[in-house]
Amino acid sequence: MRRWKWLALVAAAGVLASAAAAFGATAHSTAGSTLVVDNSFTIKTSDPQRAFDPTGSLIDRALYDTLFTYKGGDLSNPIPLLVSSWKASNGAKTFTFQLKKNVHFADGTPLTSKDVVFSFERLVNIKGNPAFLLAGVTVKATGPYTVVMTSTTPDTELPAILANPSTGIVNSKLVMAHGGTDAANASTADKAENWLNTPASAGAGSGPYVLKSYSTTSQIVLAPNTKYWGPKKPAFSTVVVRNMIATTQLINVQRGTHEIAIDLSADQAQTLKGNKKLNVSLQPSTWVFWLFANNDPKVSTVTSNEQWQQAVRYGLDYKSILSVAGPGAIQAPGLIPSMFLGSLPQKDDAVQNVAKAKAALAASGLGGQQVTLQYPSDLTINGVPFTTMAEKVQANLQAIGFNIQLSGSPTSNWLTTYRNGQMAFGLSLWGPDYPDPADYLTFAPGQLVGLRAGWAKGADPAIEKLAAKALVTTNAAQRKAIYQQYQHDLNESGPYFPLMQPTQVFVSTSDLKGAVYNAEYDVDVTQISPK
Amino acid sequence: MSSLAYALRARPRASWIPAAWRQPLAIVGIVIAAAWIVIAIFAPLIAPDDPLAQTFTPAAGPSWHHLFGTDELGRDVFSRVISGSRVSLPIAVTLVALAATIGSIVGAVAGYFRGVVDGILMRSTDLVFAFPPIILAMVVAAVLGRGLFNAALAIVVVAWPSYARVVRGLVLSVGDSEYVQSARLLGASSRRTLVRDVLPNVAGPVFVLATLDLANAILLLSGLSFLGLGAQPPKAEWGSMVAEGTQYFQWWWIGTFPGLAIFTVVLAFNFLGDSLRDVFDPRTARRDAEVEP
Repeated sequence: MRRWKWLALVAAAGVLASAAAAFGATAHSTAGSTLVVDNSFTIKTSDPQRAFDPTGSLIDRALYDTLFTYKGGDLSNPIPLLVSSWKASNGAKTFTFQLKKNVHFADGTPLTSKDVVFSFERLVNIKGNPAFLLAGVTVKATGPYTVVMTSTTPDTELPAILANPSTGIVNSKLVMAHGGTDAANASTADKAENWLNTPASAGAGSGPYVLKSYSTTSQIVLAPNTKYWGPKKPAFSTVVVRNMIATTQLINVQRGTHEIAIDLSADQAQTLKGNKKLNVSLQPSTWVFWLFANNDPKVSTVTSNEQWQQAVRYGLDYKSILSVAGPGAIQAPGLIPSMFLGSLPQKDDAVQNVAKAKAALAASGLGGQQVTLQYPSDLTINGVPFTTMAEKVQANLQAIGFNIQLSGSPTSNWLTTYRNGQMAFGLSLWGPDYPDPADYLTFAPGQLVGLRAGWAKGADPAIEKLAAKALVTTNAAQRKAIYQQYQHDLNESGPYFPLMQPTQVFVSTSDLKGAVYNAEYDVDVTQISPK
Repeated sequence: MSSLAYALRARPRASWIPAAWRQPLAIVGIVIAAAWIVIAIFAPLIAPDDPLAQTFTPAAGPSWHHLFGTDELGRDVFSRVISGSRVSLPIAVTLVALAATIGSIVGAVAGYFRGVVDGILMRSTDLVFAFPPIILAMVVAAVLGRGLFNAALAIVVVAWPSYARVVRGLVLSVGDSEYVQSARLLGASSRRTLVRDVLPNVAGPVFVLATLDLANAILLLSGLSFLGLGAQPPKAEWGSMVAEGTQYFQWWWIGTFPGLAIFTVVLAFNFLGDSLRDVFDPRTARRDAEVEP
C-alpha cells in the first residue's frame, strides 16, 4: 500500500511540474521570444574595426550602430542611421555629417563626434582587413555633433561604405579604458580585441543588442540593450546565432519557431517548397565565381599564353556550369554582379564555341601541357561546393583537349598561394566589400586582384586608364557606361573568366516580420520582430 | 548426447574445410570479400558507364538505367562505386602487405636479438602507438601533401607497429623453444634460424592480423579521402564520394551507396579475419576437439 501512495505522490508532482512548465512557456512568449539564426560561421572577431567576414557583419550590425544603414534588403539606397543630415561638396571629396543628438551607448554615455573620429581612425590605423574602406579619407570633428570627412579622390560610395559594420561606432572612452587606441601605431598598440569579444564589453556599442556569450565555433548569443536609444526597442529577449552546416540548417528550420537559415543551397530550398510554415526566397547572390589564368610567364608559360586563355574562354560550357548551382543561379556576363550599377545585361553572357576553342588551343600549341586548377576544397558558397565546380570546369576543358589536373586545398592554404600571385590557374570568387561597382576596379592591372592574377601595372594601359576614369566619375549614367565598357574590355583581354552568380537562399519561419536577406549583413536582426 | 547429434556426426565431414570456417559468418565474409575482389578485377566490364563521364541528368534517383542514381554532376553512381573498388582494395592489400613486412622485420629483429636493439625498436613502436591512428595518419598525410599515394604512406606509418609487437612476442616465445636452441647449438646463423625456424611459426597470427587490418586500412583510407587528404577529385574513391554526398543530403543515394560499399567490404574482412583467428588459435581448436566425447 505504501508503494502506491508514493507513486500517486510522484504522479501528482509530475502533473504539477508539467503544468508549471506549460505556464512558464506561455509567460515566456509574452515577455519576449528567442530569435535563432542558423549560419555556417565565418567569423574571426566581433571587434568591428577588425572584423570583415559575413558572420562578423551580422553580429556587429546588432551591436554597433553605423552612420548609414539599409532598409530591408535594398542596397541601392543607404539611409541615415546615426546621421540626422549630411551634405557632399567639393566634387564629392568633402562630406559633412550632422549626428543625431539623442544617441547614447548601452552604458548610457552619449555618442558624439569624438566617438566617430575615434572609431574611424581606429579602423584605419589597426590596418586590419577592413582598413581599406576608409583609406585616403581623413576625418575630423568640427563640433560635438558635426563630423567632416575629406577624401583625396571623389568618394561617391562613402555613404554606402559607412553602412558597413566595420565602420560601427564604438564608445571611445570605454574602449580606451580597455586598451583600445586610434593612434597611428594601433595595429600593435590596440589591445581591446579580446575584451570586445566578451560580454563585459556591453557598453561599447549603441546598437539594439549587446553580447551575452561569444564563441567563434559554436554559437553567439545576444541580449537586448535595455537602454537602447532608438524609437523601436529590441524585439527579442534573446538572439542566438548558431554555427551549423547547411544540411543541419535544413532540418532545423523546418522544426523551429522564430528561426532563420541563410546557407541553404537552391537544391535544398526546393525540398521546402509548399511548406506553409516557411518563407523561402531565391535570388541571385552577390558572389561571382570566376576562373583566372595567371598572366605572369614566370608563374606559368602556359596560362599566360593569350591563345590558351582564349581557348579557355570559348571552351567553357557556361550552361552546364550554371546547372551545378541549381535553380535561381544566373550566368555572370561580367565580374560585377547583376544588382549593381554598371553590371552587364544577360545578353552579354559568354557563349561556348567549341570550334573557336579548339582552334585557339591548337594555335597556342599548349594543349598537351598539364595545368593544375587550384581551388579551396573545403569551401561551399551558397550551397555550391568549390570541389563540384572544379570538377565541372575540368570536364569542360578536358572535352576541348586541355590537360587539367585538380588540386584542392584548405581555404587558408589556397588563399596564401592565391594572394602571393603564385597560382597559375585558379577557381575563385569575389563578394563585394561594399555595394558599389568601384569595388571591382581591383581587377585592373596592378591592383589587388590584378596582381594576384599576375597582371602587373602597365600591362594594359587602356584598361588602366578606364579604371582611373571610373574612380573619379560621379554622374550615374556615365559611371554605368564606363563600368560596362571596363567589363567588356576585361572579358576581351583580361585573365578572368566570369562563370556565374549562385543562388542566395533565405529561409525564415513565417512567424517573423521583417526577415529578409540583406547582402551587406546577411540578415539585419535589428529589423526583425515576431508576428 | 542426443540421437540427432549422433546422426549429424555420423555424416562424413569434408575434412579439408577447417572447422572454424564452417561458421555462417565466415561464409558470409568469404562470399562478400570474394565478390568484391571479382568486382575489382573486372570493374571496367561490370561498370555500365565511364565513372568520370558527366553525361547524365544530374541528381536523378535510383532507376533501372542508373541502379544507384546519378550524382550532382550527372555521373553514374553505380559505375563510380564499382570502379571505386579498384582504388580501395589494391591499395589496402599493398599497404597491409608493406606494413606487415616492415612490422614483422622490426618485431623479429627486436625479439631475436633482445637487449638494447629490442629496447630501441619497441620504444619507437610505442611512440607510434601513443597517437590515435586516424590523427597520426592525418598529420602525416597533411605534412606530405594531399593525394592518394601520400595517404597510403600515412596508413603504413600507423599500421606497422601492431605487427612489430605481435611478431616480437611470438619470436620471444619461439626463440626459447628447444628446436630453435638446438639449431643454434648446431651452429646455424642468426639469419638462418630466424628465417627457417622462427618466422614460419609466426606466419599464422600475422596473417590473421593482416586480414583484420585490411578492413582497417580501407576504413582509414576512406576516412582520409573523406577529409580531403586522400584521393583527389574527380577520382571515384568511396571516402571522397561519401564526402561529396554529405553536401547533398537531399539526394541520399550519392553518399549512401559508396558508404554501403565501405561497410560491406570492412565487414567481410572482419568476419574473415575473425574466422581465420579461430583457425589459427590453438585454444579454439582444442574447444573444437573437446566437443568430441
